[in-house]
Amino acid sequence: MKDVILKTNNLTKKYKNFAALDNVSITIRKGDIYGLIGRNGAGKTTLMKLITTLTNPTSGEFELFGEGSNHLTENKRRIGCLIENPSFFPNLTAYENLKYYSIQKGIVDMTQIEESLELVGLEDVRNKKFKNFSLGMKQRLGIAFAILDHPDFIILDEPINGLDPIGISDLRETFKRLNEEKNITILISSHILSELYAVASRFCILEHGRVVKELTKEELDIECSKCIVIQTDDVKKATTVLEKELKTTNYKVIDKREIRLYEYLDQTSKVSKALTKHDIDILGLYETGITLEEYFKSVVKEAN
Amino acid sequence: MINLMKADLYRILKGKAIYVVLFIIIALSLVSAIGLTPGHVGMTSMTESTININDEEMLGIMAETNSLKDLRTLMKSHGGYELDQAVLGTNMNLYYVFIVMVVIVLCTDFSNKSIKNTLSSAISRNKYYWSKAILIFLICTFLVLFNNYFFYFTNLLINGKNFASSLSDIFKSTMIQFPLIYGIMSLLICFAFLFRRTSSFNTIAIPFVMVFQLLILGVTSLFRIRADWFYQYEIQNALANLVNHPTGEYILNCALLGFFYIVLFNIIGYYAFKNVEIK
Repeated sequence: MKDVILKTNNLTKKYKNFAALDNVSITIRKGDIYGLIGRNGAGKTTLMKLITTLTNPTSGEFELFGEGSNHLTENKRRIGCLIENPSFFPNLTAYENLKYYSIQKGIVDMTQIEESLELVGLEDVRNKKFKNFSLGMKQRLGIAFAILDHPDFIILDEPINGLDPIGISDLRETFKRLNEEKNITILISSHILSELYAVASRFCILEHGRVVKELTKEELDIECSKCIVIQTDDVKKATTVLEKELKTTNYKVIDKREIRLYEYLDQTSKVSKALTKHDIDILGLYETGITLEEYFKSVVKEAN
Repeated sequence: MINLMKADLYRILKGKAIYVVLFIIIALSLVSAIGLTPGHVGMTSMTESTININDEEMLGIMAETNSLKDLRTLMKSHGGYELDQAVLGTNMNLYYVFIVMVVIVLCTDFSNKSIKNTLSSAISRNKYYWSKAILIFLICTFLVLFNNYFFYFTNLLINGKNFASSLSDIFKSTMIQFPLIYGIMSLLICFAFLFRRTSSFNTIAIPFVMVFQLLILGVTSLFRIRADWFYQYEIQNALANLVNHPTGEYILNCALLGFFYIVLFNIIGYYAFKNVEIK
């Protein structure tokens, strides 16, 4: 079993009557690239803010590197973060900003600044002031800051926002390299599901501050795999037929008009016959594979 | 903590603000030395509290002068007084310098949101608070010393011994003012942690002294309250009184008041910051 890097136990954050995070319990193990998926206001940033102590939990607790809040200050030094928008001193250059944080973190070897800038492709603009950076460049500097002192765990909140396609692709490679070569664990959130899918090894779907699904990439692949979509106005009766007639429970009710069946993939006529035999009106019946977005939507819908 | 202070010093020295502040102190010192009279901000009457001139006629003529040259000629003919002590009496002017320093050291962190970078991966809130507070105290201490001694030597050079006290007197006056000055710094640090953004902080901090004085003046005159004791210990008056041959008891009371402010405002500031969400 791999070492636990982060473990949250019923972490809750409430603002008056609104629960931004509601009893969230997740575990991130060494070497994971853990993708946080959720809509705006789902609680992704709040979770990251709690872990990085930018805000205090209403209840619950978390462990970093297997240790509780007593060792939080020491363990925080092993984390690199980029929470929300990258924020730096506008009148300092990229190099000066990173030097400021290097001094702050007690880094003696200033070549680490060059290394980080190179890794995110900012070595040519090291002497440009932060206020003159484009959004993409600011984002890259934020990532350079996060990896500045070779952390064991990186927390990145929407790191690919504002990046161009080549920049996104470069960063994806950077994350993979950091993960594979330096064994850095990464917690990353993004709205761009396909990008998150391309980089993460485990996923957590948050909705209304609650964890609605936690799954590995393999499990996600299965969830998004091919299926038969059955559209009918009597879902309840149709599921009874699937279970009794076709002897399968490998299906999912999407809504009151749709079922997804993950068996009998090449036998749609058999499914059709079984349903019509029991006088079920079939509004639609076809084979499909669902996209990540569709899967995400279905999970979120289910949670609501 | 030391690393954070070192990093902030690196950033401050890279910026222009500290040099502008030093330039302003030098410029004010030169104007005061050449004009032979200290400048002041706020409601304290400079002539009453900081210049030892008892000649009513002379004060009247001084009030009517409209150029530094005329004032200088007039003051020179008077025969001399301890101008450097008078300038120390108007050290409340440095309140505005302290505001600039609090903004540079602290509020920019909140306004740029760069505090997130520091708190999320480098340092605890406890250490953050104290390293910022200590750095502000250190820089402002340097600025007070620079202001007092720069003026002492400038005055000595320009106006000669008739208008100067001694180095030991300057040292004594500086030291007995420090508890109250640290109290003022603590108030500003407290404001910075309460209001955080530069704009909000400035809105409160800049007019605070004058609004406070006006309020007290308004309340005491409206309700005919005798508040001599209070005025004696109002910060601007107290700083002026402390260079004007104060009694031992008065020095002690001012020191205790300063320590009270330091403790009170730092407790409020610390607890306001400890539980706040960093946005």
